[in-house]
Amino acid sequence: MIQKHLPQKRGMIPSPHLLFRKRTEMFTHFLLLFFLFFSTVTLAQNTRISGKVTDKKGVPIPGVNVKIKGSSAGSATDADGIYSLNASRGGSSLVFSFVGYTSKEVPINGRTTIDVQLDEETTSLNEVVVVGYGTQQKKDLTGAVSVVKAADIQKRQATTVAEAMQGLATGVNIRGGGQPGSEANILIRGLKNLSGTNPLYVIDGLISTANRDFNPNDIESIQILKDASAAAIYGSRAANGVIIITTKKGKEGPMRIDFSGKSSLQTIPTYNLAGTDEFARLNNMAYDNAGVSRQKLDLTTNTDWQKEAFRTGSVNDYNLTFSGGSKDGSYLVSANYFGNKGTVISTKFDRYSLRVNTSGTKGIFRIGENIAISNSRSDEMSGNPIIDVVRLLPTIPVYNKANPGGYGYGDEAKARTFGTNPVAIADLEDRTNENLRIRGNLFSELQFLPYLKYRLNLGYETSSDHYSYLRKQGNWTLNQAFDPAIANENRATSSTQLIENTLSFNKVFKKHSLNIVAGQSYQKDEYAQINGTKRNLLVNPTGGYFNVLDQGNEPQTGGFKTRSDLISYFGRFEYNYDDRYLLNGVVRRDGTSRFGFGNQWGSYPSVSGAWKISNEKFFNSSWINDLKVRASYGTLGSSNIGPYDYIPLVNTFSTIAMGRDQHIESGATQVQLANTNLHWEKLIQQNYGFDASFLNHKLSLTAEYFIARTEDVLFGFPIAMTTGNDGGNPRVNGITLGNKGFEFTATYREDAGDFKYYATANLTTLNNNVISLGYNRNNTYVGNTVTQVGQPVGMWYVLQTDGIFQNADEVNSYKNAKGVTIQPNAKPGDIRFKDNNGDGQITNSDKVVVGSPWPNYEIGLNLGASYKGFDFSMNWFGAFGATVFNGPRSVMDRFDDNSNYRAGIQPWTPDNPNTNVPRAYYGTTLNSRGDTDRWLENGSFMRLKFVSIAYNIPKAIVNKIGFANAQISVSGQNLLTFTKYTGLDPEFLNASIFEKGYDYGAFPNVRMYSMGLQFGF
Amino acid sequence: MKKIKIAILLALLSTGFSACQDDLLDQPNPNTLTEQQFWKSESDAQQGINAAYAMFYKPGIWSRWMYFRLDLTSDEGFSKSPWIELGDWTRFQYINYNFWEGNSNTWRDTYKAIFRCNQVLDKVPGIQFTDSRKKDQILAQAKFLRALHYYYAAILWENVPLVLKTSTPEDLPKQNTLEEVWAQVIKDLTEASGALPGSWDDANVGRPTKGAAMALLGKVYMQQHDWQKAKSAFDYLVTGEGKGYYKLVDNFQDNFTHLNENNTESVFEIQFSDANKGADGDNTNASMGNTRAQFFAPRSIGWSDGQARNWIVAEFKKEKTADGKIDPRLRYTLFYPGLEADFGDKIYGRSWQWDADEAWFKKYSRDYYRNNEDYYSQVNERMIRYADILLLYAEALNELGQTGDAVKYVDMVRSRSKMLPLTTAYPETGTDKDKFRERLKIERELELCGESLRWVDLKRWGDLDVQSKVDVISQRDPDFKNFVPGKHNRLPIPQNEVENNINLKQNKGY
Repeated sequence: MIQKHLPQKRGMIPSPHLLFRKRTEMFTHFLLLFFLFFSTVTLAQNTRISGKVTDKKGVPIPGVNVKIKGSSAGSATDADGIYSLNASRGGSSLVFSFVGYTSKEVPINGRTTIDVQLDEETTSLNEVVVVGYGTQQKKDLTGAVSVVKAADIQKRQATTVAEAMQGLATGVNIRGGGQPGSEANILIRGLKNLSGTNPLYVIDGLISTANRDFNPNDIESIQILKDASAAAIYGSRAANGVIIITTKKGKEGPMRIDFSGKSSLQTIPTYNLAGTDEFARLNNMAYDNAGVSRQKLDLTTNTDWQKEAFRTGSVNDYNLTFSGGSKDGSYLVSANYFGNKGTVISTKFDRYSLRVNTSGTKGIFRIGENIAISNSRSDEMSGNPIIDVVRLLPTIPVYNKANPGGYGYGDEAKARTFGTNPVAIADLEDRTNENLRIRGNLFSELQFLPYLKYRLNLGYETSSDHYSYLRKQGNWTLNQAFDPAIANENRATSSTQLIENTLSFNKVFKKHSLNIVAGQSYQKDEYAQINGTKRNLLVNPTGGYFNVLDQGNEPQTGGFKTRSDLISYFGRFEYNYDDRYLLNGVVRRDGTSRFGFGNQWGSYPSVSGAWKISNEKFFNSSWINDLKVRASYGTLGSSNIGPYDYIPLVNTFSTIAMGRDQHIESGATQVQLANTNLHWEKLIQQNYGFDASFLNHKLSLTAEYFIARTEDVLFGFPIAMTTGNDGGNPRVNGITLGNKGFEFTATYREDAGDFKYYATANLTTLNNNVISLGYNRNNTYVGNTVTQVGQPVGMWYVLQTDGIFQNADEVNSYKNAKGVTIQPNAKPGDIRFKDNNGDGQITNSDKVVVGSPWPNYEIGLNLGASYKGFDFSMNWFGAFGATVFNGPRSVMDRFDDNSNYRAGIQPWTPDNPNTNVPRAYYGTTLNSRGDTDRWLENGSFMRLKFVSIAYNIPKAIVNKIGFANAQISVSGQNLLTFTKYTGLDPEFLNASIFEKGYDYGAFPNVRMYSMGLQFGF
Repeated sequence: MKKIKIAILLALLSTGFSACQDDLLDQPNPNTLTEQQFWKSESDAQQGINAAYAMFYKPGIWSRWMYFRLDLTSDEGFSKSPWIELGDWTRFQYINYNFWEGNSNTWRDTYKAIFRCNQVLDKVPGIQFTDSRKKDQILAQAKFLRALHYYYAAILWENVPLVLKTSTPEDLPKQNTLEEVWAQVIKDLTEASGALPGSWDDANVGRPTKGAAMALLGKVYMQQHDWQKAKSAFDYLVTGEGKGYYKLVDNFQDNFTHLNENNTESVFEIQFSDANKGADGDNTNASMGNTRAQFFAPRSIGWSDGQARNWIVAEFKKEKTADGKIDPRLRYTLFYPGLEADFGDKIYGRSWQWDADEAWFKKYSRDYYRNNEDYYSQVNERMIRYADILLLYAEALNELGQTGDAVKYVDMVRSRSKMLPLTTAYPETGTDKDKFRERLKIERELELCGESLRWVDLKRWGDLDVQSKVDVISQRDPDFKNFVPGKHNRLPIPQNEVENNINLKQNKGY
């Protein structure tokens, strides 16, 4: 017998956003009709049950859908809240549901009269949250999960999902983007391991990455699993958190066509640099002070290198979606073009993508697929123009026919700099990176009992990558070595295969509700690459070169492949007693091929619970609507390393010349060391939180406190160079890190009336702390940072400056306790350094810890309002308390080596002693050394990440032209920044964990001005 | 029924899985050999020692930065590089001790080379050889190479840790004194010299001979002022059983081109080649060339990061040949303003276009057959040349009070370049030990300028130990005004290395 059952909840319940926006009468009527349709399909049987449905205050609710669980038999309440229906023998309970109220399930227990009271539901807490191999209602969550609204992401103009999520979720720090096709970096709840890896992405059940190939317009919902108990079902690799993305599905009804288009202009922030006059004055001063004869500067040239290298970029993003379905099936087809002309010359990114999501049901059987195909191509940046525009002098012309290749650059007599001409390198080096990716899954489900479901999920992702590089003949910097024209191509294929079997059991016994998932999964990742290079390419008479590998000579080829396998077993139970006590438990066991025999398996259990205080009888508050407290404790594993890192390998590439004939012989040796005993990294996390809503649900609060400890972190911990190791520090387990943090979110929402508004504020504090370091060290030094036990990672460790010597007396009287003159060779105008160890000289031992690169707290502010057809929204993000190193300023403000100077800089002179810039002196790095606090700055900032105004064209007008809805919008990104930081962008990304706060000339966030149009019919 | 079927299916699926899961998790690396699979055969041993030679091609040491440390830091050379920090590291302005190009890269590549030698020395003894003499020769080569790298480490940093076993990641080796380092170098060279052949067959020319080991051993004793032992070591090459292998070549220039490599004057050469045009890492097609000429070639030809001091030109011109001509060695030693006038030679096909007081290193440049440079010079580096050994032999004899005997070895070198006999040109040098020593310093300069020996010589002569002597040097090389005796005699150890290894102390004064 084929049993009818309720359609999947996921499809039924509209997202809260929609609820909030469109809870119109029409919609209610539609639902009513829908339910009535169901209620007419009655079974031929049996006992008649009737009753009355009221709200908490006893007021009858009409239109409530009443159904016998597990069957299609049902009815609805009339105007007085009265219902009656025929109950089949098999039916054990009735389900009452009505929009705006929490559904209730009531056991029949042989009764014929059942009166029911329904509770009003809160909009935000009624969301369905995808938690991995299943869903939960947000109100039933026991762990830390953030939900990001797809609409908020889709409002913004971003290449990747990550970039679009900035500031939208507490405890989720996202940096990066800006360059065409660049990826952003995500840190969830701080630095939990040192590999700086991104969280795990799960897209429609496929373990993947939502990289630039993924079209953010396809997103239906995003949830971020932040604590161990929430992420535990994903076991290994979930240690950095999990981002679950569900893509859009077709909804029941006739075909719907939706179009959205956005066009943006992008501008890059720029430096304020000296022009030729100012440059010449300062440069001559530096040479004069050093007693070196001046350069013969070309004063007739005044090149603004920023104008040459940067331009106004643009983004165009068009998306067209066709969707629809019946109650037995649904489909969605979406096509997207995303094009970004970069703000740096000769950079761009283009993406074409197509998605097809379908599903169908017959009886107990359901089958579906989600597949996306995308082709992305980026024209990549060569060199680093962010630094090059500073390194080049304004007296250098862009073009110079006398140079090979025809471009201007440094000159020994006139412009001594090794800066790279960004126009030249953009032309002479061509790098493109293109890939075709297919990503999707096929699933089928058997609901062979109302409470028992089997699901098979087959996932597959493959990418075919093509990188090509063309080096044209010509130079971009002074004294460059000769290179012939070179072509290099690199082709690779990657694939991920996933097989998952899950069984889920879902049943309510009186006040007990039990949900159990058990499953098994197998994943295989493979990658293979071949590459080839040819030199001395044939010149094409029509211009350029024949850049195919057929031409040229001195061929070189290479290639490699990797594979890794992961086998997992997992289970979860969710127990709910009377909607008051919630208990969840998860266990996952993973086996990976990335470790050696004996270390491959790890088991990760976690448990979490919540108490809904507001559902207790004793709880009676007129102003608190909901109150839930929760706690969790969980463990997670991580094996996020290369597939063969535990195996010591032999490098067989050495070749040597030998013998009278200088013939070539080969050599082989171990180059990179390895730790053979690598094993699972383990994250142990506790999370305590509460969720509450007040004032008739207008105000909601969530607060969480977490304590995380990552043990045996897998990391390439710096080892001594005396080991002779090369090729990167070998991975080792052996660092233990602690993270503690507090996350707080408050939302106030007013939905009544024409003027609706909301405000959400979130606050994140985070404190990381090294508990122990690899190889039992107490500290490790990287660049200008020290990482030591008991301290946060990567603290600034530099010499302290103490002003400028104003005269010879000050130099001579600067002595230590023993009377030794500390800087005897200093001259007035030189920097005075602190002799912190008191030994009478300035050495590396005078360095001290002077600041932390980590912000004390980060805040996000989301504001929105709507009035009639207008929607306004705005998002602010700020981070406070970080000390950062301004790398570009350490280039601009130095006089020892030639580069352009900061406009308006005032180096010390006897006539101008009131300055913090030491005297200009060409030829020694003493005053401009990089390891001092002179380059450290306050990195705090507050930024308007996003602001938008949209207008929904009134239905009356829209309908006339046959549309269902239409919206136009204008928006801006990164328009305002409040900061004391003098670099281009305080919100920069440095991928090195130890040097998070070092701005090496990172690509800045660009400003964006966008127009959008959206309509559906 | 259906339920049961599904249950069976599921059960089958999962049991089928468990059976093969261990196989799935055992994924071998498909790309290369594991260390466990290696070091099994004679061929593996040969590959292992070959890989140690490949370290000569790395920029930290002999394909680039070693020339900055030895040639430019000395009073022969200096840097006017627009890259100020690079220049600072040739004029005793060491500020950032982690400066990769000036310090850390050289330190790292030195130990990287030693790691390769140690692997051979640890693993090859366990390999079965049909001919045990071959095995001994492989081990002897590893000892020679290890000694060579420690010799230069001792010259540069002095107090370096001795790593003598295959490294493991957790190693934090103890620091050793200069004396301990010398003792280890002597031990390795003594052992190596016992097994190395007097000469190699044509296919293996380029590997160290017994003579190379004895020559390096002599050099170590020279640095320690152990003149007697130095002389004994050099005896092998000059008067002993190895004498027959060595002879100065007629054409001085043959020592610096790719046209007459591994000749009778070569005691040990680095075998450079331009066959590969790749980068300098450990990848396929890695460069086997020397980049020295690209970095030292004059402005607009190379990077011009290093050049010669002009006083050397004047020194050459102080004495004429027996037939009244300019010392012919000048022609092949330096590019200088008068080169074209004196010898008719252009510079990379150009007439002099650089400053009048400048000079550039010509040895190992390829201007003898091309007009530009690149990163792949194939010219072998004559690391130990017989002329050097003869002059050192003479120096040892002089220090031992045998000045009269020493003269003839200097004359062997002078006569090739048609210079008058020493005692004819400088009669007092034949008997006066001090005068002989002072003259020998100049003889070494004229013969060996630009061959990375001067810094070693200055240290041996004690010219860097006291301020008064440093003041003399700074008259011809103003960079020495920055020199603090007792401090700048050695480099600072890379700061990260000192900080990350609790067993290491920074060198005195830094």
